[in-house]
Amino acid sequence: MRRAAGILPFCAGLAALLPAAVVAQAAPAWTTDPARSRLEFSGTLAGGRFDGRFARFAPEIAFDPADLAGSRFRVEIDTASADTQEAERDAMLKGPDFFAVERWPAARFEATRFVPTGPGRFEARGRLTLRDLTRDIALPFAFEAAADGRTATLSGGTTVRRLAFGVGQGEWRDTKWLGDEVEVRFDLRLHRK
Amino acid sequence: MQWRNSLHGYGAVAKFLHWAIVVLIIAQYLIIEAAEELPDGLEKFAIVTRHKSVGMLVLGLALVRIAWKLVNSRHPAPVPMPQTQRIAAAAGHGLLYLLLLAQPISGWLMSSAANYPVTFFGLFQFPALVGADPGAHEFYEEVHEALFATLATVAVLHALAAFYHHFRLRDDTLRRMLPFVGPRRR
Repeated sequence: MRRAAGILPFCAGLAALLPAAVVAQAAPAWTTDPARSRLEFSGTLAGGRFDGRFARFAPEIAFDPADLAGSRFRVEIDTASADTQEAERDAMLKGPDFFAVERWPAARFEATRFVPTGPGRFEARGRLTLRDLTRDIALPFAFEAAADGRTATLSGGTTVRRLAFGVGQGEWRDTKWLGDEVEVRFDLRLHRK
Repeated sequence: MQWRNSLHGYGAVAKFLHWAIVVLIIAQYLIIEAAEELPDGLEKFAIVTRHKSVGMLVLGLALVRIAWKLVNSRHPAPVPMPQTQRIAAAAGHGLLYLLLLAQPISGWLMSSAANYPVTFFGLFQFPALVGADPGAHEFYEEVHEALFATLATVAVLHALAAFYHHFRLRDDTLRRMLPFVGPRRR
């Protein structure tokens, strides 16, 4: 009995802590509709632009504009799904000089810091890992939730310097023909979990 | 030497356009044949990219040439020849002009279908003519090669006809298009 009495305050304390733990994870989790979501990139070749996309990527999104502290992005990108609509270039992108998909099959973006930049606009401060290199990047995006709060769109993009991630080894370090800057864009359709 | 055509020979502009296009097309063929031998990589990419820029230059020169022909209504007087030969010559020239346009355009289509940008030596980008489509790319590639075979054949016949006029008929047909050469003194 004395023993149980000792445990009671401990349980009460635990119960008091519980809401705090829930608050830290409070931003709602969203699932992504893959058929209506896109992750695209544009590079420059010989002074001209070309576009590509990643066909497979898995975003884990917990986001609430009212709870940026509890929000979190974690996106895994299947680098072997890079698609520029041309077999030779796709093979080169997946090869050892670029994404080296056999060694590093996934790229990853993770962000836990979010800064509001305007109405419905934010910037995620996170880390992008491509190949074996991880760099800080800032990702501006817009978040727009439907009136019922069940669906939302999350879209944005940034410019990534490929050479900062070792994408383009050997002769491809030269930026005369293949530009360093790669524009990355995404447009996600989200459903509340 | 004069810029415009006269009754006795082609002017400097027409001669320049004719021979510049001849030299560029021969260079285009040699460039791309050399690139085919290379492994995939930066060097091959750079050469193929140059081939595209030069191709757009040929297209531009061909358009200028056709425009010049249209505004420059004076042409050297035709050498007397049987009507069948005149018709054959006119048909051959018409086909050559058509091929000078079709050859670069088929290459442009080929690049567009493969989602490769076409630029003018990196200075500016031409719009894509069609959307990315790997199947269409293969098709345009075959068209590009078939058009070249046709262009080469017609161009060789054109040159043989010019030699025939020069060496057998001994008329001014070839001389009036040669650079730095005036018509034969009569």
